[in-house]
Amino acid sequence: MSKTPVPKGFTPVHSARFGKKGSQKLAGYEADGGYASWKKVAKGWKSGDFTPAKIIDMVKASGLRGRGGAGFPTGLKWTFVPPKEKRGGKPVYLLCNADESEPGTFKDRLIMEEDPHQLLEGMLIASAALDVKHAYIYIRGEMVRCAEVLNEAVAEAYAAGYLGKDILGSGLDIDLTVHRGAGAYICGEETALIESLEGKRGHPRIKPPFPAVSGVWDCPTVVNNVETLAAVKFILDNGPEWFKGMGRNEKNTGPKLYCVSGHVEKPGVYEAPMGIKFMDLLALCGGMKGGKKLKAVIPGGASAAILTAAEVADLPMDFDGVAAAKSMLGSAAIMVMDETTDIPKAVTNISKFFAHESCGQCTPCREGTPWLNKMLKRLIKGEGKRDDLDLLLQISNQMGNGMTICVFSDAAIAPVISGITKFRDEFEAYLSKAKAPDFALAAPAEVTPKVADRVAEGIHG
Amino acid sequence: MSKTAKVTVDGRSVDVPDNSNALEACRAAGVEVPHFCYHPGLSIVGQCRMCMVEIEGMPKIAASCTVPIRDGMVIKTDTEKAHAARNSTMEFLLINHPLDCPICDQAGECKLQDNAVTGGLPVSRTSEARRQYPGYERTDIGKHVIADMTRCIQCTRCIRFCEEITETGELSFIERGGHTIVWTHEGRALDNELSGCAADVCPVGALTTKEFRFRKRAWWLDKTRSVCTGCEVGCNIAVEHKDRVVHRFIPRVNADVNDFWICDFGRFRSEELNEQELFRPVVRGKETSWGDAQDAIKAAVDAAQKDVLVLGSAKLSTETNWLAAQLFGKHLGANVEFVVDRGDRHRVKNKKADGNVAGWLEGYEAAPNSRGAEAAGVTRGGDTGALAAVLTGTLLPKVIIVLDAAFSAKAEDPAVIAALRKAGTLIVCSRRRSALAAAADVLLPVGGVHNDEGTFVNVQGRVQRFDCAYIPPPIVRTQLEILTHLGKKWGLFDTRWTARSVFEEMRATVPGYAGLDWDSPALVGSAPSASPAAPHDVLEAPAKGGLGLPALQEVGS
Amino acid sequence: MSGGPNLPSAQIAGNPPVGEHGALSCGKALKFSPEARKRVDHLLTRYPTKQAALLPTLWEAQREWGWISREAVDHVAEVLELAPAFVWGVVTFYTMYNRAPVGKHLIQFCTSISCHLADAEGVYAECRKRLGDLKPGETSKDGKFTVIEVECLAQCDKAPAVMVNDDDYAVITKDNLDSFLGGLK
Ligand SMILES: Cc1cc2nc3c(=O)[nH]c(=O)nc-3n(C[C@H](O)[C@H](O)[C@H](O)COP(=O)(O)O)c2cc1C
Ligand code: SF4
Ligand code: SF4
Ligand code: FES
Repeated sequence: MSKTPVPKGFTPVHSARFGKKGSQKLAGYEADGGYASWKKVAKGWKSGDFTPAKIIDMVKASGLRGRGGAGFPTGLKWTFVPPKEKRGGKPVYLLCNADESEPGTFKDRLIMEEDPHQLLEGMLIASAALDVKHAYIYIRGEMVRCAEVLNEAVAEAYAAGYLGKDILGSGLDIDLTVHRGAGAYICGEETALIESLEGKRGHPRIKPPFPAVSGVWDCPTVVNNVETLAAVKFILDNGPEWFKGMGRNEKNTGPKLYCVSGHVEKPGVYEAPMGIKFMDLLALCGGMKGGKKLKAVIPGGASAAILTAAEVADLPMDFDGVAAAKSMLGSAAIMVMDETTDIPKAVTNISKFFAHESCGQCTPCREGTPWLNKMLKRLIKGEGKRDDLDLLLQISNQMGNGMTICVFSDAAIAPVISGITKFRDEFEAYLSKAKAPDFALAAPAEVTPKVADRVAEGIHG
Repeated sequence: MSKTAKVTVDGRSVDVPDNSNALEACRAAGVEVPHFCYHPGLSIVGQCRMCMVEIEGMPKIAASCTVPIRDGMVIKTDTEKAHAARNSTMEFLLINHPLDCPICDQAGECKLQDNAVTGGLPVSRTSEARRQYPGYERTDIGKHVIADMTRCIQCTRCIRFCEEITETGELSFIERGGHTIVWTHEGRALDNELSGCAADVCPVGALTTKEFRFRKRAWWLDKTRSVCTGCEVGCNIAVEHKDRVVHRFIPRVNADVNDFWICDFGRFRSEELNEQELFRPVVRGKETSWGDAQDAIKAAVDAAQKDVLVLGSAKLSTETNWLAAQLFGKHLGANVEFVVDRGDRHRVKNKKADGNVAGWLEGYEAAPNSRGAEAAGVTRGGDTGALAAVLTGTLLPKVIIVLDAAFSAKAEDPAVIAALRKAGTLIVCSRRRSALAAAADVLLPVGGVHNDEGTFVNVQGRVQRFDCAYIPPPIVRTQLEILTHLGKKWGLFDTRWTARSVFEEMRATVPGYAGLDWDSPALVGSAPSASPAAPHDVLEAPAKGGLGLPALQEVGS
Repeated sequence: MSGGPNLPSAQIAGNPPVGEHGALSCGKALKFSPEARKRVDHLLTRYPTKQAALLPTLWEAQREWGWISREAVDHVAEVLELAPAFVWGVVTFYTMYNRAPVGKHLIQFCTSISCHLADAEGVYAECRKRLGDLKPGETSKDGKFTVIEVECLAQCDKAPAVMVNDDDYAVITKDNLDSFLGGLK
């Protein structure tokens, strides 16, 4: 009953209930077999039929890799949490990363809006496996309505005894709180998310220590994406072999939600087995909008390197497939650009995003992202200089690869480097159109706006 | 004691505590990795990305301050990749930094300037306009500190200082990304006991103290090791001066006393040292020579036949107090006493004030050396002491000698002055004109603490040495000189004695001084740092200081 | 979250003179209403530290007063036992806390890449023009509209995506702009 078409022979998983009437409600969820796995886990908890080790082994066996961006094996991440004896009495926290702010990504929102209980069930199972007593969903501030749906679902789950004290007689106590962010892309980075949840500015932390050892409130912490945690529920429903049966190979398994936007006939979230070929996905979306020609694709959110039409022609859309093309699947946010797209303008737009979203603590990122953006803006205004393209590439190369605390900076340069190297002629065209330099006036200095002018300066945007 | 680990820095092998980071290991090996946000007294944030080095086995370049060392780690600071990374960071820092070193107070002790001069690129590749911060320039943000955000490099040292050391949290990052600045909340000032240190830790000229702004180029300043006389804590300071003018006090690192800090009260007393007002001995209203003044004193004291009260001072060194005790007390049988004011609480943060836990080291006495004065044999006067008796009129010595006209706030009280004046002969040593000085029969011009050297014993019982910044003006003598010359009149002292020789002489008998060495690091403390923003490390455990004299506090009270 | 008294900030007593900085004053000391205070107290039960409740408490403040003034910062800092500068630092890190009063309808245009590909910048400019040549972030004279630009709203399939106060709007183009604005009463 997915709202969008699926490949032939594939039964939708996450999106199965999307668009169904009352899909958000507990009653409907239970009627469709929801919470069956959670009940099984709860029932088997005291008897020892279900143990943390058993759940973690299932997740490991499924080959599930994180859906938040990095594709890190989820089961393996869970084993990094120190065993109880080594935690010195500290609790473990599970944080669901629902900050979904990567431009082009809108899949987690759909899970939470259309079928929130699949996330809650996944989180409950993960909490049991990780000995978590309190789990948090960090949802981005802009998703106000979505947070309301989640909160209703949480209330229902408490009322039904799926959450709270001694859940279903299992002896498990699990609380869950929905925490709203307030507008900062960087809070999707897991350690920035932790800082933000602690009530601070969202500055990513230096690692080590890693969150699994010392995360929120200095306690062992697991951060997983919404889709990742929801997948845990389906793995328990259907078994790891079923999950592994989907996908291109052992390392890229399971069902996957793809967010397709840009110049396609029917943009939307499409569910398909991991590793679907780009062209097949495009066909599901009804092809290119207006039958135009494909020019470029951003395969994994604004942080991913741009790919040319030729590069995506036969590309399997999974972690290793896209990585082999020197980009990344990231959050599976696929932005399709047709022949009319002005790549320098698109790259400038993305650079504006990163200049605006840098947290500002690392020098190369704080200073570099606005610098790139200023140069690109100047370039597309027709005021570029001959050396600008090389300088852009050089500056970009000075910002990545360990130069900063988090990989935001690496993300910020990926579109710039790939854009200029793959579409250099388009950038050169702007240069050749460039006006003769204006000697009369130096460019006006950039000014940090006063607070009174903040709103006017579009600081919200 | 923590365990050590062996690491190799640019081919040199060093042993460092195993909880060090790679930057600290480099420092221990004598390799200074350029840095901005790292400060040995503050938490590690790894934000400036200046301290980039290569570490064997790590695929990427790393910020050394964020890398915990491992035994056997091999660190390379001098590779092409490391230089390129640090040059990158410098370039990013400079694209928006104003080029106003000629009018910036930090010039000469600025880490940005230093790192630009020693490394960095010779050219600027940016043609974009520099960022400006209207409303955030040259603004008073507190009683002592002026902020100019055009110069800020967002290292967060000042923020961490206010959060971790003073725990007052007046400063915060405001805005984000390229617009990030440091500021207070509107309507609240940067106002804490140690606020001047926020300007110290600032590696650039973004935070400066009002008191020092535009006073003197940093590179002209001579630096003399000293100890703050504001209270009994005895923070280690450098007296920074030029051409016989003191310009400021900067804390000297001492892990056992003041760590990297001093309080505002102590710091901004520096101007007092420039207030020398008396230049000639005066006997009964007439300017005269030292010889005449000494003769007058000897005659009066001899005539008084032990009916003499000598007021030592907790503001004077142990050496001078000891000379006074020897000469007037032991030899001439006079009453030698000091009193000390209990003033406001002053305090400084120390990482291990409380065993190994950070805490405040507090001082209540408004003088640095009551313990030393007492150890030297001067009686701690109190409600029942000789001075108290003089003030109530029950005691009327024929001669009263005030070795330090500023011995107490009492010295300004007309009633007290009148009581002292009742003595047949009132002898006063003073730097400044005052009612007490005016009342004296014999007035001796004396220099300040910065004109002399000696030792103080602080609230912890630590003996700490202070050095002479410059000798007193012509004719004016130091306290020590006055006493040795007077002592010679009775054939007791030698005028060639120095604070050091007195120290060595008295060591055997003064409690707590036995076995101490005038030149030992424990007494001397660390050398003044080149810049307040670049304090010395306290990595190696400092030599165990001074003595355990806790009991001294109780004596006489 | 719309509303709050829609005063141009310059008219508010106690504001810093032009060229100065910091949180704007609303002119009077603030205190949570008993209901809001109850919600904040409940929030505190959900976290192991008071500080962790800062973001949700600021949401409560914005709900209560429409925007985050200097006095709101002071009150929140007091309630959560935090330094006011810290709270102001947090407010300014996030984009969704209004630092000045906004119109009844805060219209937020996404101009990130997917919406950019659908000419969001053009629609954004057109919208401001139709509301009386509003500058970015300016509030219309009747106090009804404030139009700003925001980053990706996670509605890229509905480009150009718009949010008005808390509600999502799909595919706002130059063609349906008038009916969209007409629907905002
Ligand atoms: C700049 C940046 C932004 C990120 N944003 C998100 C996000 O919005 N949602 C998300 O799930 N992960 C995001 N991540 C990835 C997280 O850091 C983290 O890897 C992820 O939440 C782990 O969950 P997973 O293992 O289930 O993928 C982001 C990472 C970076 C560096
Ligand atoms: S790389 Fe950028 S976003 Fe990441 S911590 Fe550094 S400044 Fe912040
Ligand atoms: S004001 Fe100085 S100490 Fe504070 S962040 Fe800026 S440069 Fe660093
Ligand atoms: S000193 Fe290491 S990052 Fe600043």
